[in-house]
Amino acid sequence: MRRPAVRLMSYGIPVLLVMVAPLLVEDRFVLKVLTFVGINALVVVGLALLFGYAGQVSLGHAGFVGLGAYTSAYATVRLGWPWLGGMAAAALVASLGGLLLALPSLRLRGHYLAMATLGFGEIMFIAFVEAESLTGGVDGFTGIQFASVAGFDFRTPAQNYWLVWGVTLLAAAVAYNIVRLRPGRAMRALHGSELGARACGVDIVRLKVQVFVLSAALAGLAGALYAHLVGFISPSIFTLHFSVILLAMTVLGGTNSIAGPVVAASLLTLLPYVDAVLPGVPESVASFLSDWETDIYGLAIIVVMLFAPGGVAGLLRRAGVRRTRVEKGREAA
Amino acid sequence: MRMRLGVVCVAVASLVVAGISGCAADGENGAGSAEEPIKIGAILSETGSYAGLGESEINAIQLEVDAINEAGGVNGREIQVIIEDDGTDEARAVAAATKLIDQDEVVAILGATGTGQTMAVRNEVRRAGIPLVSMAGGSVITDDFDPLVFQTPWPNRLVVPYILDVMAEQGWTEVALITDAGGYGKDGRDVILGAVDEAGATIVADETFNPGDTDMSAQLTKIRAAEPDAILMWTAGSEAVTIAKNRVQLGIDMPLVGGPGIARREFAEGAGGDAEGVILAAGKILLPETYGEDTEAYQVVTDFIGRYEERFGEQPDIFAGHAYDALHLTVEALKRLPAEFTSEALRDEIEATEGFVGMDGTFTFSADDHNGLTEDDLFTYRISGGDWVALDE
Amino acid sequence: MELSELLQFAVAGLKNGSVYALVALGFTIVFASTGVINFAQGEFYMLGGMLSVFALQALGFPLVLAVVAGVLATTAIGVVFELLAIRPRKDGDPLALIIITVGGSILLQSLTRHALGPDELPFPAFTPGPSILVAGAAIERQTLWMWALTAAAVVALTVLYRRTAFGKAMRACAIDRDGARLMGVDTRMMVTASFGLAAMLGALAGIATTPLTQTAFNVGARVGLKGFAAAILGGLGNPVGAVIGGLLLGLIESLSVAFLSSTYKDVIALVVLLLVLFVRPQGILGRREREKV
Repeated sequence: MRRPAVRLMSYGIPVLLVMVAPLLVEDRFVLKVLTFVGINALVVVGLALLFGYAGQVSLGHAGFVGLGAYTSAYATVRLGWPWLGGMAAAALVASLGGLLLALPSLRLRGHYLAMATLGFGEIMFIAFVEAESLTGGVDGFTGIQFASVAGFDFRTPAQNYWLVWGVTLLAAAVAYNIVRLRPGRAMRALHGSELGARACGVDIVRLKVQVFVLSAALAGLAGALYAHLVGFISPSIFTLHFSVILLAMTVLGGTNSIAGPVVAASLLTLLPYVDAVLPGVPESVASFLSDWETDIYGLAIIVVMLFAPGGVAGLLRRAGVRRTRVEKGREAA
Repeated sequence: MRMRLGVVCVAVASLVVAGISGCAADGENGAGSAEEPIKIGAILSETGSYAGLGESEINAIQLEVDAINEAGGVNGREIQVIIEDDGTDEARAVAAATKLIDQDEVVAILGATGTGQTMAVRNEVRRAGIPLVSMAGGSVITDDFDPLVFQTPWPNRLVVPYILDVMAEQGWTEVALITDAGGYGKDGRDVILGAVDEAGATIVADETFNPGDTDMSAQLTKIRAAEPDAILMWTAGSEAVTIAKNRVQLGIDMPLVGGPGIARREFAEGAGGDAEGVILAAGKILLPETYGEDTEAYQVVTDFIGRYEERFGEQPDIFAGHAYDALHLTVEALKRLPAEFTSEALRDEIEATEGFVGMDGTFTFSADDHNGLTEDDLFTYRISGGDWVALDE
Repeated sequence: MELSELLQFAVAGLKNGSVYALVALGFTIVFASTGVINFAQGEFYMLGGMLSVFALQALGFPLVLAVVAGVLATTAIGVVFELLAIRPRKDGDPLALIIITVGGSILLQSLTRHALGPDELPFPAFTPGPSILVAGAAIERQTLWMWALTAAAVVALTVLYRRTAFGKAMRACAIDRDGARLMGVDTRMMVTASFGLAAMLGALAGIATTPLTQTAFNVGARVGLKGFAAAILGGLGNPVGAVIGGLLLGLIESLSVAFLSSTYKDVIALVVLLLVLFVRPQGILGRREREKV
């Protein structure tokens, strides 16, 4: 087993780099893009647990993101609640939504579960559009203020970057700890074989619901953070396409890993902005990339899935970055 | 394990503190030195469902930027329009605005192509304090008033009462509505419902469809059962063609009326014979002769049409016109300013626009009118033989 | 409500339904042989329309030839896609392949926009002329074509599956892939054939609808979603179910406009779908999956 110091460095260094970035990056736009990365990463942490560990497919998580975004927007702008209240409300409402969806959907397996979550996501989208008095409908919800704690406003890109990545890293750490403990092993058992897990005494119903609700809560938090970051939300952000991309990020990230999906999410989110983020890219290259960015995006997904079967996590494992006792044990078997 | 979590917490805490304790303050949006080109940003839908509209707008802007620079630019300085694609997506529009403001430091933003994207960008623009000149037609853009935001197309707020009056003149007071549930259609519907009473009309059917729907015969069947005098359709997309075709196929002979959303060649071409007799209201750019051949407007419009056709091999549509107006309004304001100017000054100068002759009409802004057009800039057309003619012809 | 009105709603529903049915068939065929939900199915629908228009306008083909060319070209694209993007994934993990089809869908859509432009494009009706009146309801000639094509597809597939060795091999592959391989079936070719067949069906639906709705690079997504829902409704993996699911979905949508509200047409269809799923998770005609321990 690797020495604790080495393991510490293999996590500590990336974390430190992430936190230090605003001190190294001057460009406000790049910082904002990196903040968007953090928001997607937050949702993906939840999806990594749900799918990567527990093997449950969701094609409707954009609905939870939207639920959190609108809840926090409504709470802070219409009800005058403080930002922390909005955050809490967002997580709560999203969790409730997750609960309401998870309970009847439990009997569904595989593609049928996917369809149910897809249906939920679509219904949420329509709800965002139709509930005009609550959400502003198609015109969207404007005037959402910056995050603010005890009178201090998070105004600058760097401040918002730290806020978002602080939350995301915390969520990742919590997820990581969950995975190590009994729930994690139970989740993996669930993924492997439901019948087998039940035979081993795992309460799979409760477990499925818990994981689903947790992933919904994280998605809701991410949505709320987005709302306060940008100041404007509208239904067309929370679409099936977004849910599909979130799932793609998770799958690309590889199973049985939190870091893998987070890295995959980061890369996929950054891909359309490559020309803006990398300094010194010549104009012609930048405009070519910008013109073909969607094609490159689609191609990248295919290429990674073909040539890196274990996803990003697989790549990381091969690079020796991440090995847990459980995985080492399994590989030895 | 516990140590790892601890490290993360300490790192988070210490750097949140570091962040709070200050970052570089915002700089003001400078206008650059007198030698560099003036940078204007544009957020257009090059991809996504509004790609067709965006393409025309990009063409128009490229054409006009070259023309303006060849004519000496703005008081000797060249202009440069940096175009970002929003993919007909709000989130990407916001990201595009952020890039234009933070990285390119533009003095104003033209766009977006769509109403939703324009509304999304308003927040960014407000935080930066620079003017936004939109090419989208939703009333909400100027109804939800913001001193920084201007709009070039004929807004629904203007066109709807006009078209309702036209319908009343024809004796069509019992009106059936069919609108799309997207931003433009919904906005149109809201304005229509608000304006019917004053126009003396009644709505006997109110059907909607979603962007991307492929068949509206169910809605039209319901409409037929309500026996309206005429059908008023409000949409900007290709669904209009489907509605026109469904109507003919179902044998419905009540007249079909629409707004600027169908003032596109693609509508007449796509619907073919089924577009015959469809009535619509839009600006005079479709038939420049309606300006009167001795007016400045006629000269300006036919000149643009000619140059556009020469460069791109096809006639410009109304969206090219919207983009032309947005660019020129900004440039004209810039010309009236000294070499060093602030964002407020640019905004004020755009607002001071008076009698600017553009593609959509003659613009005169004021402190509470950021649309600048009047009913005089509108005209009623009928589609005949695949082309637009005056209604009474 | 008069009979003719009701009939009209039914006609509209069955018209859309036949489109959904063809797309759903495409989903179900691929699923049956690979366990994969092909997210690019909607793009096959789009390509059928776009490529036929291209053949007609840019290449000057006569109408019939343009339709055939468009459908065949799309079939070829489906086959090439399978060979390049699906087959190389050796472990055949369905979820990974699903994500690959997501990437494929994005890529196909974007390439089409680059190649053929962003505007919507028209196509003439297969046979021009006014609608046919049946008991007061107007049926467009193109609708008759759509029904004919759907029926022909169903008949052809049935013959393929039941009478030909090839079709039986595909069915064997769907039931038990390893078993089929043991019996000498080239399962890899079956997978390629499924994608080709799915592409052909999607393309047929696409070009049959284009005269009514026009086509554009981005029309695939919505129809794909509806087709997927229809396949699920009818029971994923069951071709008859796909057709029934498609027709049923179309009727539900049309009747909700008729009796409820056009605003909520999509919600109603979704709610019905979810209710069916919660009550009968395997869909109308699906077989209850027995979990193997």
